[in-house]
Amino acid sequence: MLLEVRDLRVEFRARDGVAHAVNGVTCQVDAGETLAVLGESGSGKSVTAQTVMGILDTPPGRITGGEILFRGQDLLKLKEDERRRIRGAEMAMIFQDALSALNPVLTVGDQLGEMFVVHLGTSRKDARARAVELMDRVRIPAAAQRVRDYPHQFSGGMRQRIMIAMALALEPALVIADEPTTALDVTVQAQVMDLLAELQREYRMGLVLITHDLGVVADVADRIAVMYAGRIVESAPVHDLYKAPAHPYTRGLLDSIPRLDLKGRELYAIKGLPPSLTRIPPGCAFHPRCPMARDVCRTDPPPLYEVDEQRGSACHFWRECLDG
Amino acid sequence: MAEPVLEVEGLVKHYPLTRGVLFRRQIGSVKAVDGVDFTLGRGETLGIVGESGCGKSTVAKLLCHLERPTAGAIRYRGEDITKLSGKALKAVRRNIQMVFQDPYTSLNPRMTVGDIVGEPYEIHPEAAPKGDRRRRVQELLDVVGLDPEYVNRYPHQFSGGQRQRIGIARGLALHPEIIVADEPVSALDVSVQAQVINLMDRLQAEFELSYVFIAHDLSIVRHISDRVAVMYLGRIVETGTDTEIYDHPTHPYTQALLSAVPVPDPDARDRRERIILSGDVPSPADIPSGCRFRTRCFKARERCALEVPALAVPAEFRYATGPAVHDSACHFAEELRVVPAEEHGNGPG
Repeated sequence: MLLEVRDLRVEFRARDGVAHAVNGVTCQVDAGETLAVLGESGSGKSVTAQTVMGILDTPPGRITGGEILFRGQDLLKLKEDERRRIRGAEMAMIFQDALSALNPVLTVGDQLGEMFVVHLGTSRKDARARAVELMDRVRIPAAAQRVRDYPHQFSGGMRQRIMIAMALALEPALVIADEPTTALDVTVQAQVMDLLAELQREYRMGLVLITHDLGVVADVADRIAVMYAGRIVESAPVHDLYKAPAHPYTRGLLDSIPRLDLKGRELYAIKGLPPSLTRIPPGCAFHPRCPMARDVCRTDPPPLYEVDEQRGSACHFWRECLDG
Repeated sequence: MAEPVLEVEGLVKHYPLTRGVLFRRQIGSVKAVDGVDFTLGRGETLGIVGESGCGKSTVAKLLCHLERPTAGAIRYRGEDITKLSGKALKAVRRNIQMVFQDPYTSLNPRMTVGDIVGEPYEIHPEAAPKGDRRRRVQELLDVVGLDPEYVNRYPHQFSGGQRQRIGIARGLALHPEIIVADEPVSALDVSVQAQVINLMDRLQAEFELSYVFIAHDLSIVRHISDRVAVMYLGRIVETGTDTEIYDHPTHPYTQALLSAVPVPDPDARDRRERIILSGDVPSPADIPSGCRFRTRCFKARERCALEVPALAVPAEFRYATGPAVHDSACHFAEELRVVPAEEHGNGPG
């Protein structure tokens, strides 16, 4: 197994108490596999990603438990300089907002080349040549000229390609992409997702795709982990989950999408709002919004029940949910 | 179609590009909106879709008279509002209200919810007598699904979805006929989007509202719209009923746009064919000659660089009937089904 996260817990000190951002996340990704982590804002999906990458700000964040096994080695036990060697070379991250993730005062060529200079000790001149190669790779037209341009001189789609090039520069085994296409228009989004999928196949990378878009997930994921209030509430192979969700939150999300191919009546809406992370409801965190909630849901937090070998659901009544 | 409440004709908005501080000279212009025509019927929803920079938000601003057009007419009940000013303009504005995209920046953080929703009455005191305003505001909050006791709270005490409800309540305060909603749900979480869309649907039936609904999310636009206009670089390239546009698109841009939308159904992965457009949208300051879509079009030929295609029923369809016959600004329009036919029933729900 390439990456295995076990019972990860992260909290933040906030003005009105402690925010429990990640509350026991367990998941795994294999080489060549795409795991989609699906969740709304505040579900803990980005904090999980940052913790795995080792770029979480501590303080205010605090890792209070769990293990992150990368090729069997617990990253949380490593020293910072050991982690830095892994980061970028063996695991890399693609951010949502390329404009703020790239350095505005360095040319893209310098930023791409830096990967080779820092990690491999390549000379500046060779690094420049590698940068051009990479830009060709992600199909940026006229790469040899544009290597001297600054990030603001590129369009949003092109900047995202540069981010991808930078993440893939050292052919990492694992890439975490945090909402890589959310800021892009649909026609450009399709171009970028296509490119990402193609490069993933080529390098047999493990890809963790963090998103809130159920359409993107259906398009590219092999497996899905649905997050709610800092926990994974359902994990399943993509076809199984869309066919028959085993958690009422997943079901609610799927039902609430207006479908292009199904002009709807009134949309199904999950009632209420996601909870504040400083005041997560007791028992099952989803119970105040759940149409299936019963007494036990208010008191007993559900474990991740095994639905079958490949599926898990954190709902006491997953059988009922599965049957519709 | 229902009796028209709004007719837009040849609407143009160019922003000048200038150079120099002391001696300012114009070196060109950004053609944000470059000749847009449409009609909005009473009680109808017109969806406007397009990618960023296509001019859809500028159209919204022009409709609400937040910007003055460079040319063209916007007729509300037969009267051109672009020519109005002073009292006459104020009277018309009552009837065309706007709901903004970002519920975080469109509400004044120093005003209470009661003041925000009641502010339209300060500008149009004839709409509600002074003593009656608080009651009216509470009624409005109730209508949009908020607790009327919240009048004294501030915007930061609410979630994004609730704030959008406050924005909608403000839009309704003067009993307008038309609401222009610019990306009203795109800042909201998926589970909350559905709540706001349902609210807008309900209010439309209750108050006989006409909506201009602007969004980039094609599935939401289809859900709420009676008719849809697809914009590209400042112009409408195709327009028709939702079925005509989504199931029988004839313009290559619409086809590419629809094919690029990820469908929330993993089984559709293999069944559909994607049209991946090359390149980016050209700058609105430097619009290609002829058909403005030709630089990215998979069908472009010589004629496309020379002749501007008109938004009309294409010549090929002149004697045809059926849903493929609708306005499409393409020299080589032809029908192409891009959203795969669904075998439903195995979906969730």
